[in-house]
Amino acid sequence: MKEKTMNIKRHNAKQAILTSVLAMVVSLVLGAILLAICGYSPIESYIAIFGSSLGTVKGFALSLSQATPLLFTGMAFAIAYRVRMINTGAEGQLYVGAMAAALVGAYVTGLPSVVHVPLCLLAAALAGGLVAGLVAFLKNRFGANEIILTLMLNEILILFTSYLANGPLKAEGSGVGQTNRIQESAQLFRLIPQTQLTIALLVGIALAVILQLVLNRTAFGYEIQITGYNLLAARTAGINAKRTYLLTFAISGAVAGLGGAAMSLGVNYRFVEGFSASYGFGGISVAALAAYSPVGVILSSFLIGVLKAGAITVNRTTDIPVEFVSVIQVLVIIFVAAPTLIRSLIALPKKLAGRGKQAEVKKEGANS
Amino acid sequence: MRLIISILSSSLRSSVPLILAATGGTFSSRSGVSDLGLEGMMLFGAFFGVYGSYISGNAWVGLLFGAAFGAISAMLHAVMHITYRVNASISGMCVNLLATAATPLLLNSIFHMNGKSEQVTAFSKVNSDALESIPFIGPILNSQSVLFYLTIILVVLGWLFMYKTTAGLRMRMVGENPQAASTVGLKVNAYKYFGVAMSGVFAGLGGAYLSLSQMDLFVENMTNGRGYIAVVINAFGHYNPLGAMLGSIFFGFFDSLQTVFQSTLPSQLVMMAPYLFTMLVIVFGMKRGKAPAGIGKYVDN
Repeated sequence: MKEKTMNIKRHNAKQAILTSVLAMVVSLVLGAILLAICGYSPIESYIAIFGSSLGTVKGFALSLSQATPLLFTGMAFAIAYRVRMINTGAEGQLYVGAMAAALVGAYVTGLPSVVHVPLCLLAAALAGGLVAGLVAFLKNRFGANEIILTLMLNEILILFTSYLANGPLKAEGSGVGQTNRIQESAQLFRLIPQTQLTIALLVGIALAVILQLVLNRTAFGYEIQITGYNLLAARTAGINAKRTYLLTFAISGAVAGLGGAAMSLGVNYRFVEGFSASYGFGGISVAALAAYSPVGVILSSFLIGVLKAGAITVNRTTDIPVEFVSVIQVLVIIFVAAPTLIRSLIALPKKLAGRGKQAEVKKEGANS
Repeated sequence: MRLIISILSSSLRSSVPLILAATGGTFSSRSGVSDLGLEGMMLFGAFFGVYGSYISGNAWVGLLFGAAFGAISAMLHAVMHITYRVNASISGMCVNLLATAATPLLLNSIFHMNGKSEQVTAFSKVNSDALESIPFIGPILNSQSVLFYLTIILVVLGWLFMYKTTAGLRMRMVGENPQAASTVGLKVNAYKYFGVAMSGVFAGLGGAYLSLSQMDLFVENMTNGRGYIAVVINAFGHYNPLGAMLGSIFFGFFDSLQTVFQSTLPSQLVMMAPYLFTMLVIVFGMKRGKAPAGIGKYVDN
């Protein structure tokens, strides 16, 4: 019996990996066509992109640092999706997390680094978790749609943090909307000097492993999985679904908030308004590519990070727009969501050829 | 007095894109498909509206382009959700994400510009002396663009279609109970495709209104969440075109109050208002709204 379930599990995992790989490949091919339409040589562009982001130490570090926020937002989306909730609010949670970490980092003084950094991270996780928890509460209590709520909250939180960074908390003498620089004790350790690659990456990887263990090995993880698969079964088994929704969504928000802390403490050393290059929404494609597995997100965020870093580097010397990577990211979501679409797409040339042949056969038949 | 007139005319102006998008939403919902992709369809409509006007020099051609590409982008949602049975929230979000990703790319490759497009021929205000001379409502109506009147006509036509024609009744039946509709021989998926296509046409028109009437150019992400607000208005207006229109004017009125507080409060806080208001409506204003029962349901053959 146990062997049988193991087999099913392995089969599902295999299927998921196959879907993701196919989705990535088809998206890259469509991306190449897109580049060709825009007038760039697709092969040369891809060689330049992958060459620059994988070929040099600097480029590799850029890939990893581009992957870091996506690692967090991807995990956030993945964990919420496990209870079939859609956290489109990672963008807003990222902003409050970044603000909370930047404030604790700037205004709490006299702490050693080993205490100060975790304190900042805790503040960010709390801020993100509270925001997401509020959404889950409203969903539980009033049946409100979490997608619209989180999208509205995104706008509100981005504007509100921007107000803080331009108003009461603005750094003195600064021309743009940003808060005071954080203390040295709150700055994240850089893994490679003179790059933006910090230990935030390792924190993210550790968190992914922990989340995966929680999902697979604990009673709470079991509750999450059952609630997601079959709400009725979960209720019958005596699982408090509302509590599971609330906790899971709060965890999701906390993880996204940590992503914001990684930006404040490791990259900008303060809160800067408009710092996120749509990391929140990027997390959706990262999570989809990982089949909503926290550990899988490590790999998928790295892949997208490589593409982004490559596009950024290539954009400095050519005019290939960076945005084409975001289009690839959306294509990935589409193909992971509708794997049969890939099969139809692959079968399309065959079908057309087949139709042509059929028409020929018919013609011949008519002639004879 | 002048302040009241300016508030009222600006609330009508800001309600037009909401009316169009929310009415589109009613078509989608009534045929049994969630309307979460409105934001993306609007954004595509806004971009291609400007593109149509740019290549033809005529704002009406632009408007047609906006409607057409709104419908084309809606097909992504329709194919994913109706044919490939993807969760409608995911497929709707795909349209929105694709629009935010693709429009900057299109802007770059067509206009060779970042952030915004060139200025193009746009719609002008009605400006008739006869209208202006009517006391009180004259100046309000006169400051609207031609599209305001077109919008009202379209909403009424939409309502007539939905509640006074056989096809409209059948579409609503598909939305309420696809299984029963299928049993009596209706082509369920055809009605659903039609509903989603119409939502794309209306949302595309709403987007084109933003870029060709409120402004005369495309600005990156210029819809600013209006499509999501339209989703809320659609539910708030009980999935009825007339309800959508009234709801949109209500939202538009609230939106225009921003101008009153602009001088006293920081701009970011003022700009937060419509989103906060929408959240309050989602949480407290939806109790009586009952969605068509067949949303997201499929017919098993």
